[in-house]
Amino acid sequence: MRATVLPAATALALLGVVFGQNPSYQQDPKWRAPAEAVAKPNPLAQKPEATAGGIKLFQRNCVECHGAGGIGLEKKHAADLQLPAVQQQSDGALFWKITNGNTDRGMPSFSRLPELQRWQLVLYLRTLKPANEPQSKASAK
Amino acid sequence: MNRYLFFFFFLLGTGVGCRAQESPYFVTYDHHLEEPGNLEVETFTTMGIPRSGQNFYAAPYLELEYGVTGRWTSELYLEGQGTAGDSAVFTGWRLENRFRPLKREHFMNPVLYLEYERTSEATRIQKEIIGGGPDINSPNSELQPVKNNELEAKLILSSTVHDWNIAGNFIAEKNLSQSEGFEFGYAFGFARPLASLASGKECRLCRENFIAGLEFYGGLGSTKGFGVHDTAHYIAPVVSWQVSEDGSLHFSPAFALTHEGSPVLLRFGYSYEIRGFGSKLAQFFGGKH
Repeated sequence: MRATVLPAATALALLGVVFGQNPSYQQDPKWRAPAEAVAKPNPLAQKPEATAGGIKLFQRNCVECHGAGGIGLEKKHAADLQLPAVQQQSDGALFWKITNGNTDRGMPSFSRLPELQRWQLVLYLRTLKPANEPQSKASAK
Repeated sequence: MNRYLFFFFFLLGTGVGCRAQESPYFVTYDHHLEEPGNLEVETFTTMGIPRSGQNFYAAPYLELEYGVTGRWTSELYLEGQGTAGDSAVFTGWRLENRFRPLKREHFMNPVLYLEYERTSEATRIQKEIIGGGPDINSPNSELQPVKNNELEAKLILSSTVHDWNIAGNFIAEKNLSQSEGFEFGYAFGFARPLASLASGKECRLCRENFIAGLEFYGGLGSTKGFGVHDTAHYIAPVVSWQVSEDGSLHFSPAFALTHEGSPVLLRFGYSYEIRGFGSKLAQFFGGKH
């Protein structure tokens, strides 16, 4: 028993490490928020001061793949969050995507963050602008 | 020699120092898996406060948790145990896998858990309470030679309700080395962060860095006698504190609700997340990522 289980367990663990990374990122046309999620307003929309917390959360949870300023790291195949394709989505759609992730494409779910903290992330995402456009106060910090 | 081994295991378990909003539970699993490519290194200790006639013990374990994909997490455990007035022993290893069948967040999120463990009867980490709990009365010299190959399955159901996490685990274990039938157990927990909004400043003592909750866990007998008779049950407040960007401390005193097992278990530990571990390892071996 032991002779067969140990090599199998080791092989399983090694397979995991080798194939653990998403090899390439492409926008997923199937990753769409349902209509009721798209329509949800950001409860913090009238509290721009909450953006500062969003910056901190972004640094902790998102920079690793999306990079500073949300430009999207090529080696991580992560989306450029400054792109119109992202910025034109509603607050509710972004919130839904942060909450659910797209695990098949390497984007984890952040449902473990409290709801308001996910909305803080959305607030911060709204401040991201391409380098040739003026940055808002919050994102320039 | 045994004394030195005891202190080694004790220190291993008390290493000073999770990622944002890491689960505070010690026994209950929720539906949140490790992020793909990240490795979490965790050292935990379960200390048993004895009843009269029993000996104090500390059972440290090292946990290596790797996010294979967004829906598959794999973990390796190495565990030991030291008992005052007795000896310190390496009690074995476990390999567990958790799979999340559904892509999206739902009201109830199921996760399938499968574990193989090769441990001795002296194991006392009590990552789950099965049947009547571990034998804490017999000396290590009797328990350590008895090795078990066990398969364990759990159905994890977990839900996020506003800021609360509510999770329940149903456990079935089969000892392949002995004809014990299947043994059963349960774990149930709920927890929430102490603050919903993140402040704009970097602070370690802010409420947002703490998560608190409560766990209940215990044995449900076996196929030879299902039920709560002669089984151990605990109620345990849990708290975790994120002490750095990637590290967190965890603490939980567990109080026995029956006369089985130790009257109090003190659990504590530290976890540290290595981001992008898979990429770094692949780079080391000449891969692109």
